[in-house]
Amino acid sequence: MQRRCNVTPLTVPGVTTPSQVDLDPGRDYPLAARRPELLKTPTGKRIDELTMEAVLAGEVAPEDLRIAPETLRLQARIAEQSGRPQLAQNFRRAAELTALPDELVLSIYNSLRPRASTKQQLTDIADELESAYSATLCAALVREAADVYERRNILAS
Amino acid sequence: MTTSARRSKRTEALEQRPVNLDGFVEEWPEVGMVAMDSPYDPEPGVRVEDGVIVELDGKPRAEFDFLDQFIADHAIDVDATEQAMAIPAVDIAHLLIDPRATRRDVLAVTRGLTPAKLLEVVKTMNVVEMMMALQKMRARRTPANQAHATSARDNPVQVAADAAEASLRGFRELETTLGVVRYAPLVAIALQVGAQAGTPGVLTQCALEEATELELGMRGITAYAETISVYGTEPVFCDGDDTPWSKAFLASAYASRGIKMRFTSGTGSEVQMGNAEGKSMLYLEIRCILVTKGAGVQGLQNGSISCIGVPGAVPAGIRAVLAENLIASMVDLECASGNDQSFSHSDMRRVARLLPQLLPGTDFVCSGYSSTPNYDNMFAGSNVDAEDYDDWNVLQRDLQVDGGLRHVPEAELLAVRNRAARALQGVFAHLGLPPITGREIEAVTYAHGSKDLPPRDVLEDLKAAQSVLDRGVTGLDIVKGLDAAGFTDMAHSLLAVLRQRVSGDLLHTSAILTPELETLSAVNDTNDYAGPGTGYRPSGARWEEMKRLRHVVSAQNPEREVG
Repeated sequence: MQRRCNVTPLTVPGVTTPSQVDLDPGRDYPLAARRPELLKTPTGKRIDELTMEAVLAGEVAPEDLRIAPETLRLQARIAEQSGRPQLAQNFRRAAELTALPDELVLSIYNSLRPRASTKQQLTDIADELESAYSATLCAALVREAADVYERRNILAS
Repeated sequence: MTTSARRSKRTEALEQRPVNLDGFVEEWPEVGMVAMDSPYDPEPGVRVEDGVIVELDGKPRAEFDFLDQFIADHAIDVDATEQAMAIPAVDIAHLLIDPRATRRDVLAVTRGLTPAKLLEVVKTMNVVEMMMALQKMRARRTPANQAHATSARDNPVQVAADAAEASLRGFRELETTLGVVRYAPLVAIALQVGAQAGTPGVLTQCALEEATELELGMRGITAYAETISVYGTEPVFCDGDDTPWSKAFLASAYASRGIKMRFTSGTGSEVQMGNAEGKSMLYLEIRCILVTKGAGVQGLQNGSISCIGVPGAVPAGIRAVLAENLIASMVDLECASGNDQSFSHSDMRRVARLLPQLLPGTDFVCSGYSSTPNYDNMFAGSNVDAEDYDDWNVLQRDLQVDGGLRHVPEAELLAVRNRAARALQGVFAHLGLPPITGREIEAVTYAHGSKDLPPRDVLEDLKAAQSVLDRGVTGLDIVKGLDAAGFTDMAHSLLAVLRQRVSGDLLHTSAILTPELETLSAVNDTNDYAGPGTGYRPSGARWEEMKRLRHVVSAQNPEREVG
């Protein structure tokens, strides 16, 4: 528990971005074991603060057991360096989705089902993803879907 | 012949053989009733203009259905495709089985191949060659196995005990599903609690409709997801109420919560759902594999899965099932390789169907070895079940092949079954769920299946299951419940599983947790097979463990069993 006092100097935002960290899959993966200092929860906790003692003291909430967008971008770099560009791209889309509430994620998924949305509805979703969440990759995926759905006639009528 | 024609005694004997209860049909390519060799499958080909694939397997871009477009734009490496496609199929097959060509060498080619070309490659290979290729192309060096833990009565106490036993026997992933879907929250909790009673770090999932499955995952009641189905034709994909884009979004949704997931597909689903467009089962399955690849999903459960009766009924169908596992591995996906749904009455045929995955090893040899008797398996039975545990262990020992399991003495099994049930009793009490009685715990400790258990109050359980959702119970509440009930080691290992989603290490290809709670994936446990004397071979402590069976006699004293 005493370790919690030492957190503050390391939490200055914007000092190191995921793209600046020197990362080598062979040396640094798995991150939890090899580079724990790079890992923070979206709530700003270090991974080694997520102890049993902290759980029992009520200091760990479900939001503390989520992945941070920075972590997903680090994992994307590991995927890329391991020769898996599609997996990396998925992690980058996921990094954007960390900002969305669960209900919104589920509702966008349902909107992307065949014949569930008009082209305008999909375009609106893409615009919201971009403007409210800076989710440009996800917005591009939704716009691409809207075009394909129109061509293949699987939009809502 | 008249009906009164005299039959030989031999014919009568053969008629009684279980294999003659299986269904076999002639090929019918026009409706897709053909394993991997249809005259209507397209010829391989690709054309690139300005960095875009404008023609795929003979079809111009304007005529692409949504699978063609997704595969062309997301799965195939545009920079590599023309060079890769120029290599004759048989040369690529040679590369696959030549131990001097590394896995990486093969991936440099396969990343540029179209569906029809991948089909052409495997068509040049017989099953032994495919097994040699699979041995090299499996993503994770160390093979593993996955079990089903279900109950005909959706009894959570049974699921906890069977999960604990399966976990102790060596499975690294456990999957459940329901008869009555509303039972899901209680059964998923039971699976997660039971899994940690055997060996730490076993990951669990609950097969449900996509949105519900994601919700349980987000709450930390499950650790990963698998039942994210994709299909090989546009009409069938739409009948499944999805598209490649909705599924790709879903994949990112899981990753955004740090949750491991894989897609599911398999030969035969399109013809079974009545819209195979006259293509072979394997050609359509290859499209599913490439959609998975393009979506950026780390892995795939395939090997026909719940449609195994369809390829199983046609010539070379089981060869095609092996080919689909191989192609998933060839494009660098984790492969949970089927051997789940039961497909034959014949014991010989059941074994022959699983050897092509067991011998070379896959990421998960079974994507659902039933940890229960057949009648309790809610996935419509499995090719191997709890009554086959000893046979499986003997096969591993006979052939020195690692199928992920081990023999465990009865006393240890009884102890973990009992402990899992008591731990679930504690968690239920902590969460205010219907009580688990001492009588139930005693019964489940010694039970084989749900028929050996006292019935539960189903109405009360279903009310409680709804309350788990309404109250927003999460994995953390289960951790606290385990600790409150005195099962601190299980609380610790469940917390470790939940903490994994913060690091995202389990999101990588073929990731599992070891009993020491270390992450093992294709990143840090890359398959390094390079011919005889290399790659994964069971040795040391693991081989010693595999030598143990229920009945082994002492070399010094044949009267004494060493177990």
